[in-house]
Amino acid sequence: MSDTLLMPSRAAARGLDAGAAERVAPPPGYWRLARGERHLLIERRALIVSLLLLGLLAAASLAYLCLGQQVLSPADAWAALQGEGDPLSGFLVQELRFPRLLAAWLTGAALALAGCLMQTLARNRLATPGIIGIDNGATAFAVASIVGLGVSLAPPALALVGAATAAAITFGVASGGDTRGYRFIVAGIGVGAVFGAVTQLLLARVDIDTANQAYPWTVGTLNARPGDAVAVLAVGLALGWPLAMALARSLSLMRFSDAVARGLGVGLRRRRAQTLGLSVLLTALAVAVAGPVGMVGLIGPEIARSLSSSRGVPLTASALAGALVMVLADLAGRLLLAPIELPVGIVTAVVGGPWLLWILMRPANRRVS
Amino acid sequence: MSKAASVKIEPRPAAGLSRAMLMLFGLLALAALASLLWGAGDVGPARALAVLAGHGDSEARFVVETLRLPRTLIGVAVGLSLGVAGALLQAVSRNPLAEPGLLGVSAGAAFAVAVALWLGASAATLRVAVAQVGALVGCLAVMSVVRLRRLGDDPVRLVLAGAAFSALLASLTSLLLLFDQRTADEIRFWVVGSLAGRRLDDLVAVLPSLGLALAVTALIARPLAALALGERVASGLGHRPGRVRALVVIAVALLVGAATAIAGPIAFVGLVVPFAARALAGPDIRRTLWLCLPLGPLMVLAADVVSRLVVAPSELPLGVLTALVGAPVLVAVVRARRLPTL
Repeated sequence: MSDTLLMPSRAAARGLDAGAAERVAPPPGYWRLARGERHLLIERRALIVSLLLLGLLAAASLAYLCLGQQVLSPADAWAALQGEGDPLSGFLVQELRFPRLLAAWLTGAALALAGCLMQTLARNRLATPGIIGIDNGATAFAVASIVGLGVSLAPPALALVGAATAAAITFGVASGGDTRGYRFIVAGIGVGAVFGAVTQLLLARVDIDTANQAYPWTVGTLNARPGDAVAVLAVGLALGWPLAMALARSLSLMRFSDAVARGLGVGLRRRRAQTLGLSVLLTALAVAVAGPVGMVGLIGPEIARSLSSSRGVPLTASALAGALVMVLADLAGRLLLAPIELPVGIVTAVVGGPWLLWILMRPANRRVS
Repeated sequence: MSKAASVKIEPRPAAGLSRAMLMLFGLLALAALASLLWGAGDVGPARALAVLAGHGDSEARFVVETLRLPRTLIGVAVGLSLGVAGALLQAVSRNPLAEPGLLGVSAGAAFAVAVALWLGASAATLRVAVAQVGALVGCLAVMSVVRLRRLGDDPVRLVLAGAAFSALLASLTSLLLLFDQRTADEIRFWVVGSLAGRRLDDLVAVLPSLGLALAVTALIARPLAALALGERVASGLGHRPGRVRALVVIAVALLVGAATAIAGPIAFVGLVVPFAARALAGPDIRRTLWLCLPLGPLMVLAADVVSRLVVAPSELPLGVLTALVGAPVLVAVVRARRLPTL
């Protein structure tokens, strides 16, 4: 919850006793948890939205574990997850479905969180890492490491390098400090196109078997998730989420004009650099697991924003919504054409493309936040 | 510009234009020669030159006459179509970033072909017609979005909408590829855009529609120039903006559909070529269109020759090279402080 503010009690500052502090009413829409000198203000709506999304995510995850070629009852799936029940369903759930579900959670949350950060940074809801070419940069470099250009770095590390390169180029060519507006995004599309071409170039150089091996990287799938990359992503998300929460306050001020944000005490250059770095990091780690799964970075924050109030930047809700979208999309990809499995990237692109068009064509130019 | 006027008014003396045309056609001839001489295989320039001189061994003769010559001709046709289509689309939407590849026209054609192949079609002529219908639908979709939401007022947003539309169609195309292995094999190399392995029959199949489209273009060049002055001025001069627009859409669909049917979707040619032509010829659409005739083939042939040489003995898809050239141009256009309006 971006929207929890940890602040020293105003009453305590005025030198009143703790009992008086208890009686100070919290701002409307907030709950207050008080412990000693410090008060924790929790925005009611953000908490409810997060709990709602968490519940939906749990339901979707249960469905994810149960459904498939082999349908299990929820009780069986739960038992199998505990290591009980018959060995076949145990294998299905523990070896196949649960690791994949875990990867879906992590990548969805990371992509949506990165998208939310980037949107806030650019003050444009279309400026998600996928659209401005950061995905493509990460993919190009990761493919380079797979097809073997004599580079011995692991794909996650190279994806990180690629994402950082693409972000640097995009921000470089769109410089003048103007990350607002659509020019920045189209510059990003151009950069993304170059990296996409580089990926094709790399794939064209190698034989067909290696190209097939690298194919998942070009569409985005959870089928070929490398174990170590998932672990790296888990660590990255565990570190990145608290960092994002720490940035949340500055972020909600950065939605206003530079002058306002600066006047309210935000060190803009530093905060921008931190936000960008975090967003790039999360994108790269997620791409290293699942490839460029487009549109999750757009859809997740969009859902979160439509549910949350406009008080803060809905970081947690975005991450949860992203995980939910990813789980549902992968489930749909597995089930829709049952013997064939659709890569999750195609499902999200087919759903997200019209959504993006709709956002673009909506008449009102609503504020981004 | 009334026809009754006794004094013929030319926008500018055409000497500069014809000099530029001459130079470009010279360059185009050089590119065509290079395309005949160099290849990814082991028939080098010397042996190919011997074939052109009238002698030479049978292997070199086969390579030059059966492989490289059709490929060069096809490159000329593709470049011509895409360049002219880009110039037309940019003129009618008054948007320097309108490009068939970026706006989803090529993606529409590619998707239509993928559907047709998936349904079991494989005849070359059918493919051309299908691609043109797909391009028409894509073109109409883009134009109606422009007219509906006045996205044309913001060139950059139009590109974004087009990119989203293209991405959607591209993912639907790859969805089809997953369904069907046969289609996948047939289409996988085609879908990235390349001139390799195309036969002369493909070119013959598209020639009629290419001729038709160029004739339409010649007809509407003048009204289009008037339209650049604004819709009212054009109406006042006796043109019908609605009809001009419809004709442009048809011409663009014919051209892009033909090019896509032969070579697959190739982005950025329709952006770079009119951009360069405008830089050489100024804002008049007629001069731009003239210059697009040599410039389009020049770009495609040059990119094709490079694509054979960079990773020899294999080849690069042509779309990769045009993207490498075109994306920086896109960024440069967007970066320009004041977007040039057409």
